[in-house]
Amino acid sequence: MSDVARKRTIKFDQSRKQKSGRGPNLKIAGQTAMTVKDLYKSYYKGKHEVPVLKGVSLSVQSGDFTAIVGQSGSGKSTLLHLLGTLDAPDSGEIHFEGSRIDSMSARQKERLRNREFGMIFQFYHLLPELTTIENVLVPKMVQDGFFKYLANKRKYKKRATELLEMVGLSHRLKHKPNQLSGGEMQRTAIARSLVSDPKILLADEPTGNLDSQNGREVMDTLDALRKHENLTVVMVTHDDRLAEKADRVIRLENGKVA
Amino acid sequence: MYKLLLSWRYLRTRFIALASIVSVTLGVATLIVVNSVMAGFVDQMKSRLHGILSDVEIAAPLLGEINYPEKHLEIVREVIGDDLENLTCVVRNPALLSFDFRGRQCTQQVMLLGIDDETFGKVTDFEPYLTSAIKKERFSFKLENEGHEAMFDEGGWDYRRRMIDNRERIRKWEEEQQNLYDVTAAGYFETVQEESEAKEEGFHLAPLPTQAPDLNTVHPADPPPNNSTSPESLTQHVPGSGHGGPKVYRMSPFDPGAEHRPPIDPETLFDPMKDQYTGIILGIAISQRKSQTPDGELRDVYMVRPGDDVQVMFPTVGMNARPVSENCTVVDFYSSNMHEYDASFAFMPLSELQQIRGMMDPLTNEGTISTIQIKLKPDADLNEVRDKLIAQFPPEHFTYDIRTWQDTQRPLLSAVSMELTILNILLFLIIAVAGFGILATFYMIVVEKTKDIGILKALGAPSRGVMSIFLSYGVSLGSVGTGAGILLGLLFVRYINQIADFVGMITGQEIFDPTIYYFSEIPTIISPFMIVWVGLGAILIAVLASVLPALRAARLHPVEALRYE
Ligand SMILES: Nc1ncnc2c1ncn2[C@@H]1O[C@H](COP(=O)(O)OP(=O)(O)OP(=O)(O)O)[C@@H](O)[C@H]1O
Ligand SMILES: [Mg+2]
Repeated sequence: MSDVARKRTIKFDQSRKQKSGRGPNLKIAGQTAMTVKDLYKSYYKGKHEVPVLKGVSLSVQSGDFTAIVGQSGSGKSTLLHLLGTLDAPDSGEIHFEGSRIDSMSARQKERLRNREFGMIFQFYHLLPELTTIENVLVPKMVQDGFFKYLANKRKYKKRATELLEMVGLSHRLKHKPNQLSGGEMQRTAIARSLVSDPKILLADEPTGNLDSQNGREVMDTLDALRKHENLTVVMVTHDDRLAEKADRVIRLENGKVA
Repeated sequence: MYKLLLSWRYLRTRFIALASIVSVTLGVATLIVVNSVMAGFVDQMKSRLHGILSDVEIAAPLLGEINYPEKHLEIVREVIGDDLENLTCVVRNPALLSFDFRGRQCTQQVMLLGIDDETFGKVTDFEPYLTSAIKKERFSFKLENEGHEAMFDEGGWDYRRRMIDNRERIRKWEEEQQNLYDVTAAGYFETVQEESEAKEEGFHLAPLPTQAPDLNTVHPADPPPNNSTSPESLTQHVPGSGHGGPKVYRMSPFDPGAEHRPPIDPETLFDPMKDQYTGIILGIAISQRKSQTPDGELRDVYMVRPGDDVQVMFPTVGMNARPVSENCTVVDFYSSNMHEYDASFAFMPLSELQQIRGMMDPLTNEGTISTIQIKLKPDADLNEVRDKLIAQFPPEHFTYDIRTWQDTQRPLLSAVSMELTILNILLFLIIAVAGFGILATFYMIVVEKTKDIGILKALGAPSRGVMSIFLSYGVSLGSVGTGAGILLGLLFVRYINQIADFVGMITGQEIFDPTIYYFSEIPTIISPFMIVWVGLGAILIAVLASVLPALRAARLHPVEALRYE
């Protein structure tokens, strides 16, 4: 990551401290952010049951960088989707900041995904019709009604621009995803995941689709953000070198934590 | 917010979806054009239909009578009360009309109406449909010399005199020719006669009566014998005339008392050069023949003109009806542009017709009539008045037929309205077909956007929100299509005559022939209610078509959607 971007990050960090007391940077390290108890999940291919998770239990500490590793097909993505409430487990419990989230209503889950979780995917998952900055603003649009959004548009835009500057994309605000490189798209996705100040970042192989140069840049960006905002990060990865950087490594084998 | 933004972006980047709503546009435009033109036609037709028919009429059966009309009018006035505007008495009976056209006798069946020239025009639209400019202003059954210029190159008194003069000269010429022939024939007869005289003894001419017969018996009751078979009775030799040869008279009527009658004052004699018979007004189509010129143009040929005499034959009233014939002089024509009326109606003065048909009550000297025609105030309820009158003249006791003009024209009116309904259903089916096009297109778009839907859900968008993206997409497409259709339809209706002319010019075939439809241009009426109705219907179809795809979008499982390639 360039020096400029790093400087911006620090500047941004200071401004946020002045603005509000809320934010991941105020969280005390060592507290448990997420606990998973005895999680089971199977897929069905017709009548044939494919058990993927067979009793996974783990906990994620606030401010930690947790890596989930395992062989392909071991159920890492499945686990992450369950953590992010995109899917429901067959049995078991998931707690986030003390409350059980897997049994929440659809509305509450939507709210959680929109405000508390930031999600990054292997294939970026940007909306092709929207520009970079619009893509970053989507969580805000989803969060607010029409008029509330218009009223706050200026504020949101400023925040989105700051985030895009942080990830080094200030010169690509009006580009559509198909005009961006893979790394640029992934950095846009990172900016999007951070726009609503999430408490936890769930990343599914964010560098899996990038070459080593771009992958490193993305990792650097994530690392810097994590450190400076004291973010809790759960990242699924293949790459052992990336896993080494993590505070904690969880290895999935045969549907269980090894 | 994202819903609007995304549906707008989808709209902008997927022009193919616009193609799917072109059919909506066309359907809406067609519906508006068809409805406007049909409304125009129906309105014109109704006003024409209503034109000659009064609002309500009380009619005796065909050839029947309403006795004591004054009493009836009194009751009708009382029953209707304030709603009444005017009423008039009419005698109506079928008649045969015959006239002479180029030496040929033409006979047609007509519906003869005896009308009261004072009140009839106040009950129906009668005068505006007359062809004479003068009669339109002030109606009478008198032949005028002026006012026919608009329709006929000649007509009126001058024409009448010229025609009579012509006929007279032709008659004279024919007589001369006949005389020439008769003289030759007479020479032949004389020789034959001499021979036969020699044979038949005791033959003598019928002697002229020496006494003047009673003037009350017009014709001699006893004609002389043999006078029809003997050539002698056909010709009369007058000796001592200028030529030396015998002067021959043709079939002179045997009028033995002529010299004993007081001389007739030529002023009181009917002189067709100065006098007219009873005036009659004919429907224009009775006289008119459309003929095609070699270059394909339609030309009107008139067989009767104002000033011509016609004969009308119709039955008298009563149990022993017998036909009577009456000479009439055509004073004007009636042109309502409703062929049904123009081809069958003939109008005569009421009192004349009553007299000829023997409708005068010998005691009261009041003429009976066949229908009472009633005009009501503009806001009166026709059906209510009709029902009141029926209650007053119940069918158990009276043979009268009491009906509104709509009842009379019910078959035509209901046929037209059914036609319109079926057209509307068909055209809405077209829009429904367009709806399936939208359905298919939207479904494809939802499938294409599966991943985006997954992304939105992962970012916390509720199912409802995702659904409304596609619903508002459908609504906006439907509105755009409908709006364009309404605009197109209105423009088409506005310039329909120019368009018809233009298409006619290009194809060389006239689309709208005024001589066939009797309208100078295509009549249109744009009803705002109809446009709103059509617009809402089309948008509703577009929305319904997008509901299914939108529901599918809402039901998508986020993880599955994200996995979708
Ligand atoms: N919708 C599904 N239906 C059936 N089986 C599925 C479905 N989704 C995942 N699986 C199966 O579940 C298992 C775990 O899948 P998952 O995507 O979690 O693996 P992964 O650990 O993320 O692998 P990779 O490292 O390649 O991304 C796989 O064997 C996969 O075949
Ligand atoms: Mg995976």
